[in-house]
Parts: sequence; C-alpha cells; structure tokens
Amino acid sequence: MSPRHISAALLDDDEDFPMVGVAAPDLNFGVDHPPETLLQQLVRHWLNERHAPDILPVQAEVLGALLDHIRRQTDTVQALRGDPDTSEAEHARIMLVQTEVERVKFVVRSYIRTRLYKALQIEKFARYIVATSEVQEKLSQAELDHARRFAQLTENHFQASVLQSLPPHQQGLEDNTPFTPPMISGPDKSRAVFVHARDECPPVRLPDGTTMQMQKGQIVLTPYAVVEQLLAMGSVELI
Amino acid sequence: MTSSGSRQFGDLATQLVQESRRSTLTDTLLKYNDSLVRTVIREQRNLEDLINKAIAAQPDDAAFTGDEPALLLYQTAILRNKRCLLAYHAHRIDRLRDMYWALGAALPALLADNNDLRTRLSPHEVDFLREYNASVMDFRGDFSSELDIASSVTHPPRDLHALVRVIRDCGVIQTELGSIDFRKGQRFMVRRADIEHLIVQGYLEEV
Repeated sequence: MSPRHISAALLDDDEDFPMVGVAAPDLNFGVDHPPETLLQQLVRHWLNERHAPDILPVQAEVLGALLDHIRRQTDTVQALRGDPDTSEAEHARIMLVQTEVERVKFVVRSYIRTRLYKALQIEKFARYIVATSEVQEKLSQAELDHARRFAQLTENHFQASVLQSLPPHQQGLEDNTPFTPPMISGPDKSRAVFVHARDECPPVRLPDGTTMQMQKGQIVLTPYAVVEQLLAMGSVELI
Repeated sequence: MTSSGSRQFGDLATQLVQESRRSTLTDTLLKYNDSLVRTVIREQRNLEDLINKAIAAQPDDAAFTGDEPALLLYQTAILRNKRCLLAYHAHRIDRLRDMYWALGAALPALLADNNDLRTRLSPHEVDFLREYNASVMDFRGDFSSELDIASSVTHPPRDLHALVRVIRDCGVIQTELGSIDFRKGQRFMVRRADIEHLIVQGYLEEV
C-alpha cells in the first residue's frame, strides 16, 4: 500500500472533508500533500487515464469506496425525502446533495468508460492485453473479462468476413513481416503528454540521454515513457 | 490482372481503404462493399496460384533461395491486400461501436427499422453487434446497482431536473414521481437521470 492509500484510508469516508481535530500522523514521508478526498483522487486518476496513451492500473479501492459512499448518500436522501418532518430548508439541501451525487456519478461513469473505450481503450488494445500478462494486472476482473470476450469477438468477425475465404496460408492474424507495423497494436508510449509535478521529482532520463528534474508545480511536455514511473508513484499528474 | 490491362496488384484494396477514409471524413458509415471485398479476396487466390506456379517452375536442382523477384512481388501484394481487407473491416467495427455508444448502448434502437443502418451492414456485422452488446451488458451488470455506465458522458449534469418535450410516444416510464405515460407533444419536468436515455435515443427533447 502506498503512503497515499494509507492517508486516504484515515479519512472518515462518510464525509467529503478530512476529519477535523484528528492529527493524522505524517505518513507521507516528508512529501507535503494536503490530504485528498476520494473524489479528488478519482478526478486525478480520471484525468491521468484520459491523457495517458497506456492503460493505467485500475483504482479499484477509490472506485469501490466512492460507490459505497454514493449508495449511502442515496439511501439517506431517500429516507429524508420520505420523512414528513423534513423542513423546507432541508429539502433545498437534499436537492444540492442529489445534484452533487449525479455529478460524482458522471465522473465515475466517464472514468470507467474512458478505460473501457474512449482514449486508450481496453477494447482497442484487447488483443494486446490478452497477449501481455503484465497489462492484465492493471485491469479489474470485469474489464479483463470484457477484453477477452472482445478480442475473441473481433477475431471471429475477421475470420468470418475475410480470413476464411483466403487460402490457408494467408489466414493468420499474427503475421510478422519486416517493414510493416505489427498486427497486434499496443499503446504508443512515445506520445507526448503534458505533465504537472505534484512534488519535487527524482531526476528522469530523457530519450536523448540527458536528465530532467522537475520542481513542484512545474509543467512540462514530454514523451509518456519518460514519466511513466513518476506517474505510477503519484509524483506527477497528466493535464 | 490479365483482364483489365493496366490495373496493378493492390489497386482494389486501396479502394477499400479509401472508402474507410471517406467514411471517416464524412462521418457516415457507407454500405458494406460486399462485391469489392469479394473481388479482393479473389485477387488473393489468384496471387496464391501465381506463387505456387512460380515455385513449381523453378528447376528442381536449384536451391530454393526465396529471393526470386516475382515471388517477392506476389508475396508483398498478398500481405498488403490482406492488411487492407482487415483494416477495412476493423474500421467499420470501430464506427459501429461509436454509433452504439452514442445511442446509450441501446442495440434495439440502433438496429430498429426506422433506422436504415441495418441495410448498410453485412450479416456478420449484425452478429458482431449482437455479441458485442451481450458482452457490454455483462460488464454493465457489475455496476448496475449504483450507476448506469451506458449513460451519456459528453456533458456533466447541471441540474437535477430537465424540462422535456415528447417527440415520439414512448409508453409508460417509471420515474421518481411515479410512472408517466409519455405522449407525443406533451411536456414534463422530470428527473434527468430517469429519462436521459430517452433523450439520447431521440424520444424526448430538452426544451
């Protein structure tokens, strides 16, 4: 568990703000972050996911906790709405809470959909995922199942529409020919991304051999592969 | 090749790819070009025959080096045609998935009779959509209690409620206020989450 997860777990997850009056022990090992709420964490991962060319590890804990939170909020709202003693002012507040819940759901939905489909797509790389075991660890079980089914589905479709009519020699889906792109497409990690440093970062090596050290708050444009590690550590975010 | 004089290997496959490109540029899905696909596949078989003949024509005693120019040419043409064929089909699938999600993952609405999409698809593509839909439903089921991952992700919600006008009858729908029978021409103030899929599918319109 990373320090971030531990400090996040210390927050009372029924509230959107850190518990007041409880001095959280410094588990950030000198890294100075204001504690993030679950939603802030998800928004950060959501943006990272939308900007990164590669598939990032699934944030199952954040997602699960947030979904629990949504469920509890919805139950409370239902109970209060059904209660005849609820005052007019409280109804107005309930309205705000409901709107907020809808907006949080939007982010959750977009996060899931982004992973599934939009920018880097479990589906787009389905065959790459099925063939690459270290990528599989980054996916949730449901995502992995879907990727497997989808890879099978596209293969069947190609088989039925094209390959079965070709001579036996030409039916493979994994031709490896020099000077042509591979048939299983994976993420392009050399794609440029905008990176915002959340901390003082350890130096990283650029493709030309020089090193770069980012100060806190600095924004740079760099190939994704350069900051891949920093992103996994949470020292940077993509914007 | 022999029948049409100046045509080169791969010309037809290039036409396929151009069709995909046109489809992207005009943001439409063109009709599945069955005859062109078949012609390219026929060209592939011809090329295979040519290769076999070229191999057979080599003297038995000569060591097979594989750098016979004709062989190289045929082989390159085969590989290229194959990639073009696959690219054409992959591109169509991509577009179909876009259309599917744009309608809120509603397969019946996508294949409905009033939508002429179905006439532009090959039977295999219809099968693909059905199975894809089944897979997405499975995935969606994992989240169903809290949220519907198929709803729109283009605009974050601003208000809880929306004023809508009914464009097409869509029958009785369960909402927060109880069940409402939506009839053409009526207006309602309803909870957005309850009817968002109807807006996406074109039954309702926001006023």
